[in-house]
Amino acid sequence: MALIELRGITKTYYIGDMSVDVLRGVDLTVEPGELLAIMGESGGGKSTLMNIIGFLDSPSGGGYQFEGQDAGHLDDNELAHIRNQKIGFIFQQFNLLPRLNALENVMLPLVYRGVPPQQREKVAKQMLKRVGMADRMAHRPPELSGGQQQRVAIARALSGNPSLILADEPTGALDSQVSQEILDIFLELNRENEITTVMVTHDPKVGKQCRRTVRMTDGHLLEV
Amino acid sequence: MMPFKEIVREALKSQAAAKQRTLLALIGIVIGIGSVIALVTVGEMVQLTSEQQFRQMGTNIITIQRGWGDSQGGGGNQDRQDQMITWEEAKGLAKKFPKLEAVAAYTSTWGQPLFADKSLDMPVLGVTRSFAELNKLTLTKGRFISDLDGYSFFGVLGAGAAAKLAKMGAGDPLGKTVFFKGRGFKIVGVLARAEEGGMRPFEINPGMMIPIHTSFLFKKERVINEIMARLAPGMDRQRLTSGLNKYFKMYQPDMSIQVRSAEQLINEMAKQSRLFTLLLGAIGSISLLVGGIGVMNVMLVAVSERRKEIGVRRALGAMQSDIRAQFLVESVILCLAGGLIGIALGVGAAYVLAKVNGWIFFVSGMGLALGVGVSSAIGVFFGYFPARQASRLNPILALRDE
Ligand SMILES: Nc1ncnc2c1ncn2[C@@H]1O[C@H](COP(=O)(O)OP(=O)(O)OP(=O)(O)O)[C@@H](O)[C@H]1O
Ligand SMILES: [Mg+2]
Repeated sequence: MALIELRGITKTYYIGDMSVDVLRGVDLTVEPGELLAIMGESGGGKSTLMNIIGFLDSPSGGGYQFEGQDAGHLDDNELAHIRNQKIGFIFQQFNLLPRLNALENVMLPLVYRGVPPQQREKVAKQMLKRVGMADRMAHRPPELSGGQQQRVAIARALSGNPSLILADEPTGALDSQVSQEILDIFLELNRENEITTVMVTHDPKVGKQCRRTVRMTDGHLLEV
Repeated sequence: MMPFKEIVREALKSQAAAKQRTLLALIGIVIGIGSVIALVTVGEMVQLTSEQQFRQMGTNIITIQRGWGDSQGGGGNQDRQDQMITWEEAKGLAKKFPKLEAVAAYTSTWGQPLFADKSLDMPVLGVTRSFAELNKLTLTKGRFISDLDGYSFFGVLGAGAAAKLAKMGAGDPLGKTVFFKGRGFKIVGVLARAEEGGMRPFEINPGMMIPIHTSFLFKKERVINEIMARLAPGMDRQRLTSGLNKYFKMYQPDMSIQVRSAEQLINEMAKQSRLFTLLLGAIGSISLLVGGIGVMNVMLVAVSERRKEIGVRRALGAMQSDIRAQFLVESVILCLAGGLIGIALGVGAAYVLAKVNGWIFFVSGMGLALGVGVSSAIGVFFGYFPARQASRLNPILALRDE
């Protein structure tokens, strides 16, 4: 059973009287354990697609099956629930909460899941160790480098034990050496723990290292 | 759904990052809650204190004075000034109204008695023996005025007057002589301090009491200022009042009198104090309204400043209700913090007022509960709109915020 199955997904934005068809029928199947890179020109709708896959947004048309379940017609609370249980988001700008330290940031998805504090802390520490941030747990994001922040963000995405990691240009704000370190974490997680990952990237070097790459052109996805 | 404890913890963390703007908004809450607490507390203290004073003397005391109310205007009014209750009328009361257990008529004059050639500004009361009994006066030295004192020149000092004399070098005033209107009064007794307020004439503590007949020597007529009386239990006050009115009209046909009972005064005072509390509470509410709007403003700014955070939380699985609860709790904590400071200030102010005015200091649990309740309610009321706005942000747009 495919993890993600998109059929003819469309997304139209309306700005005043103008309508913009950003997605014009996207078909995509992602099997569990895949590592998929989405490439494409800026403004092509990659983030829009990621948001739909990640249940942050709903498509204008088409069908979406997640883990074999129809994902249409979900209300706001159900969407929040799926994001919390199934999805781990990683952003270009890391998006850690600056007032919380690394450990607290990583615990956050579990807080919304109602996991008791001790257990939450245990899991979060494991995840931070896993991304090599065990010695920075009490640091707050402004006290961390970009690469370190992204590691914490990865730990946060992993802490909820999601079915799917969605990373929108995770290395976009990092220099090439640090980018490679971060990419290595994704590759390792995918290889050793078979964590399904969908990653948007502009960097061909990053794309090349992913097992599968698709390209967003003209509102459609094409296999490369 | 996020557990409540977590919401509070998160909220406290956000508050720790409070800014000057937040503190400014809190001033309104602090002042509002502070004044509400102070005012409610003061109202209750005044009520408690006055009620206690009445209770010391008993609630079955009445006073009878010449009526002031129904003036007939112009010249008539002038005439009425001359209508005073006379000693003969007062004396006849006890016989005519057996339900009056004790009757004490007294006169009151302000004067400048002299002691050791120095002038003392003090009231002089002409009294009978029953005056001490009705006012529950106790002596520290000597004796009180007796009905056998007739026209003699004896004086009994109130506690305040005695202290004044002592300061002027009299030492023990007993046996000393105070001159009033050219006559020497030998001090035969000193009173213990009498609680002020209630039905008790305020002149007692600062004044000198002399035999009532002696006091008539300084007046053109034998007229008195006020009659105090104690009622037998189960007395119908309405009937007594009309009876008294008839009695005095017998002597002076257009005389009207005013009867005040302690019970009636207590009721009036309670009513007044309630009004006072309400009025001042209203003033406090206005500060609270201003403070609440300030808090709403702070929360609205917080929401717009933290759009990104809201987006991130939503992406991590926070429901709208989680976001709403988070901002609502923050707003309540903000108001509670202001409220607690306000309660402390209000109680402090009430304490100072109580000390200065000699009221019984007393903070009711209801006042405190009111303070906490009102500040929480303000937090919920003024925090609801910003919190709702936060919860309804589009997560994607919020995330995209820089
Ligand atoms: N909320 C919105 N309302 C209107 N138009 C939008 C909205 N969000 C995105 N768009 C438009 O949709 C198009 C695709 O945007 P999107 O962010 O998905 O592109 P992208 O492929 O991620 O680009 P980049 O590589 O620069 O991140 C853009 O033209 C953008 O202006
Ligand atoms: Mg994008």
